[in-house]
Amino acid sequence: MSEYRLQIITPEKTFFDQNTERLIVRTTDGEMGILANHESFVGALPSGPVKVMIDGKYREAAISQGVIKVSKEKTVIIAEAIEWADEIDIEWAKRSADEARERINSKKSDKELRFAELKLKRALNRINVSGRK
Amino acid sequence: MASADMKDIKRRIKSVSSTMQITKAMELVASSKLRKAKERAESATLFFETLYETMREITAENSTFRSIYYNNREVKTVMMIVIAGDRGLAGGYNTNALKLAQRKIDEAAQKSDVVVIPIGKKAVEYFEKRSYRVVAKYECIAENIRMNAAKEIGAKIMASFKNGNVDKVELIYTDYVSPLVQEARHKEIIPLESVSDKKHRDVQTSYEPSAEQLFDLIIPQYIAGVLYGTIADSFASEQAARRIAMENASDNADEMISNLSLLYNRARQSTITQEITEIVSGASAQE
Repeated sequence: MSEYRLQIITPEKTFFDQNTERLIVRTTDGEMGILANHESFVGALPSGPVKVMIDGKYREAAISQGVIKVSKEKTVIIAEAIEWADEIDIEWAKRSADEARERINSKKSDKELRFAELKLKRALNRINVSGRK
Repeated sequence: MASADMKDIKRRIKSVSSTMQITKAMELVASSKLRKAKERAESATLFFETLYETMREITAENSTFRSIYYNNREVKTVMMIVIAGDRGLAGGYNTNALKLAQRKIDEAAQKSDVVVIPIGKKAVEYFEKRSYRVVAKYECIAENIRMNAAKEIGAKIMASFKNGNVDKVELIYTDYVSPLVQEARHKEIIPLESVSDKKHRDVQTSYEPSAEQLFDLIIPQYIAGVLYGTIADSFASEQAARRIAMENASDNADEMISNLSLLYNRARQSTITQEITEIVSGASAQE
């Protein structure tokens, strides 16, 4: 199967820059797989899992809010943060989920509530992807 | 008289060399910080540029684009975000950024109100002293800037833009060009009509959700990305500027010390010569 170049960029570093055959992301409208020669596409990625095929095996990562841009030359994912499933600090993710829940329960302003919800989503996503509850 | 001179010179040499120790240490600290800051600024630039490209493409392919963050509106209030350092002794770094900020503020003030968000102690001091309308201020965040902090600032900016408190947001920062060159720059952040790439494109891209929704979704990230990137860039510039300033100071101190030691040696020699002359003339007088 033909390969294409995939770049995953965060503000802190270039997380991934290699060829891949297949990529599965979850956009706002549902899961989608991307193979080589996909049509030009731009989509929003909420916090969710991303699967990248490396050497015939899927490797999963947790993404925190990003954008995916597919073009003829390459596919770029721009994310605020991303971690491989096996590198997630589960304790930290749990703590931050609890913190977010607490904040949601304390019923602050709308804006803070929205922030807290996003935080909770990110944390839950990390916990899910890492697969260790 | 000569011995008093010598004492004086010796004291000055001592004080100059202790200053030199400080400037040398600061130079070393700045250059090690610079290395880290440069790496961060570089990856932030990549992130931001990709986002920027995407924004431009979205707006370019959709001619009837409508978003409050995109379309220009009548400007009643301008928000000026000014990024400067937390500390001084960085050559022209703070002065240049603040000078440019002042010029742009003066320009904007002719037509509209201006509110300021200073980032960095030096900027905060500057604008508070001159009693500008400071709506928010941030100190000591540049060195360990996190995306979260940038997002928080970004959310605040977007909120006041959405409420109509400000109609235009501009930014002053310092671009890290090379270790020797840093330039203060001015950038318009919102609205984004000016960023659009109006070239015609053949590519038909599909969007999910719609281009307009996507644009509004990306925009908080974009603004946080701009802030993160420019703050990281400015911090790298600050370190580079400080390193150069301190290097020059150390060089100057070195030169002063060598001049002073020359003077000291001359003074010492002349005292010795004088003493010998006195002894010789005393001895010959006894004969």
